[in-house]
Amino acid sequence: MRVWSSEHVFGHPWDTVIKAAMRKYPNPMNPSVVGVDVLERSVDSRGRLHSHRLLSTEWGLPGLVRAILGTSRTLTYIREHSIVDPVGKKMELCSTNITLTNWVSVSERLVYTPHPEDPGRTVLTQEAVITVKGISLGSYLESLMANTISSNAKKVLIAWGGWLPPADHTHMWPPP
Amino acid sequence: MNSVGEACADMKREYDQCFSRWFAEKFLKADCSGDPCTDLFKRYQQGVQKAIKEKEIPIEGLEFMGHGKEKPE
Repeated sequence: MRVWSSEHVFGHPWDTVIKAAMRKYPNPMNPSVVGVDVLERSVDSRGRLHSHRLLSTEWGLPGLVRAILGTSRTLTYIREHSIVDPVGKKMELCSTNITLTNWVSVSERLVYTPHPEDPGRTVLTQEAVITVKGISLGSYLESLMANTISSNAKKVLIAWGGWLPPADHTHMWPPP
Repeated sequence: MNSVGEACADMKREYDQCFSRWFAEKFLKADCSGDPCTDLFKRYQQGVQKAIKEKEIPIEGLEFMGHGKEKPE
């Protein structure tokens, strides 16, 4: 179930953005990624490059959240699969956490394509789904908001320990 | 950027540089000539595999095929 999505337009052509995206980490917008390794890379019969990468991230979980979870672990591993089609000019990345899966699953999908009206620009669409212990976060928030007097979403998000970014945050993963 | 295996940081850097060059100058220009990074990748992968086993990182369903072409979709 889609919980969060956003679209961003870069003022550069697709090739330029993709070259930068492949070197995305280190990324000043996402300092939590502390390690990146390529596990496998190959070109398929359609000429598309597949890469499987392992990302090491430091979540920086708030102390309260760590206490509730009963874990002091802050290093989490994410597996990412990307496909680059140089002819069709499309890059797609899918990532999901492979540790801490007992209590949370965060999946993210990014797609880079040329802007349909301007080849000098590139569109990035991102979507992310969070599932906590088998319950969709969207449903949880829905039920939480329904039960609370206040309809202020920011107060609810702060009560979650600052897990979710503000609505205008364009980088979801990892949670701040 | 670091590697999961501290010992293979240098091999990772060499491989990353090779890949970035090939990706920008060949692959994105639909140049299908040979991949020059295969040997570097093999050496780098030995360190990564070792680190993954030592740290017991749960990587499933992934055979370490390394660099390859014509992999089935």
